[in-house]
Amino acid sequence: MTAALSVTGLTRRYWDQIALDDVSFTVPSGTISGLLGRNGAGKTTLLRILAGHEFPSSGSVRVLGGAPTENSGVLRRLVFVREDQAYPDIKAGQALRAASWFFPNWDSALASSLLDDFGVRANKAIKRLSRGQRSALGITIGLAARAEVTLFDEPYAGLDAVARKIFYDRLLADFAEFPRTVLLSTHLIDEAAALFEGVIVIDRGRVVLDAPADVLRGIATRVSGPCLAVDALAGGRPVWERRRLGSQASVVMVGPLSADDREQARSSGLDLTPLSLQQVVVQAAAGVLAPVPETGFETERTSA
Amino acid sequence: MSTWVKVARYHLVRPTNYVLLPCLLPLAFAIGAVTAGRGDGHEAAGYLAGVFVYFGVLGSQTISRSLPFGLTLGASRRSFYSGTGLLGIALALVTGLLLTVLQAIERATDGWGLSLHFFRVPYLLDGPWYATWLTSFVCLFAVFVYGMWYGIVSTRWGILGTLAFIAVQVLLVVTWAITVSSEHWHLRSADGASWAGLTALGLTGVIAALAVLLLAGGHATIRRATV
Repeated sequence: MTAALSVTGLTRRYWDQIALDDVSFTVPSGTISGLLGRNGAGKTTLLRILAGHEFPSSGSVRVLGGAPTENSGVLRRLVFVREDQAYPDIKAGQALRAASWFFPNWDSALASSLLDDFGVRANKAIKRLSRGQRSALGITIGLAARAEVTLFDEPYAGLDAVARKIFYDRLLADFAEFPRTVLLSTHLIDEAAALFEGVIVIDRGRVVLDAPADVLRGIATRVSGPCLAVDALAGGRPVWERRRLGSQASVVMVGPLSADDREQARSSGLDLTPLSLQQVVVQAAAGVLAPVPETGFETERTSA
Repeated sequence: MSTWVKVARYHLVRPTNYVLLPCLLPLAFAIGAVTAGRGDGHEAAGYLAGVFVYFGVLGSQTISRSLPFGLTLGASRRSFYSGTGLLGIALALVTGLLLTVLQAIERATDGWGLSLHFFRVPYLLDGPWYATWLTSFVCLFAVFVYGMWYGIVSTRWGILGTLAFIAVQVLLVVTWAITVSSEHWHLRSADGASWAGLTALGLTGVIAALAVLLLAGGHATIRRATV
């Protein structure tokens, strides 16, 4: 599978601050990937550079095989939906009309349908739209553009749960019919987790996790129960977190569990709870993907 | 359709800004007609300057209001700038033609029956129709491009950047004025009818060269602008 996005050694400095530090990753064509991380981690800067809105200080960025900066051949095949998108003083319908001239695969029927679903009136001035409605307009442009590369930066700020579900459903439905490369930055990780084939986690400008989502979903399990039983199961294995409360203990074990492990847990009365993608990302962003030393069950937790 | 044309269309998607001109011109004319009788020779051409100022504001707004979404639509900075410049050329051509036609009517009606000189600007816009069209087009386009440059600076660097931009220009103008004064250059002819010995068309050429410089300056600036 060819890479739609390829970033190598990307660094972006602002005066004495480093927003991105030697970032490298690839995103395969025809996939939906999540770009995750804390506020200020560098996600927006990265997306802006990918879209050619910002300039790298050093490193290489390739979108659909070419550098995006001032490259019309790349830019016309790419759409970038920003959380803080500034619009001119026009109506929602006029913004869609303008978008239809620029994106060769634009689907006007889809755009109208999405506006209806989100409850945004085309003849309403954008400056009079609520925050959620502005987000809905951005999502509409991002989906109806059907660009080969679609970058979403926190696209649903202010959107209610129903509207967000509409976004997920319509994205998946349209993606199934017209596959493209989607990179979605979001803080609502569990909500969007089912969409992702790959996950990139950025923290303080560095990539701390880059893996297929399926691998991450089974990467760690919380084991809870009597101390001795937990100790017996977790002994000698990498562990991210250890907690103890009286005779009960809880650890986060790294790696898949075998059938024997599950049987041992069942017979020992242990609870096994796979870590959600969000929990894995929290661990990654906190810098605790390295195992905790096996020093007994203190109420401890590695932290950033 | 080329991206330049798409960008020009994008600016026109909300035509309100561009239909203000037909409102501004009669207003300026009305004020000129009312007040000119009190002046010498019924000269009201100064009010025509409002149209040129408006073009500068228009140039600035086309950038500051539209650049961020323009980039989102997949236009490169170069395409956006060129498309906006294309719009400026079209607007300047049409408006210049309008001024030329109105000047011809003013001549034919002896100043609208009031001996008024509104569309006949002494020295600069007072020649044959083609010279009026060319000069007004060049001047309108130059102020439009100048406004675009301001729009780029204010979009990218905000108020502080704009103030610094103005300060640099003031410094240049003051330096130039001091040089002219200290060197005793006589830019205006003895009879006050021309500048630096240039004909109106010669001055138009100088303004055209200045417009090209402004265009290049704006282009160099937008290439490094982030939104």
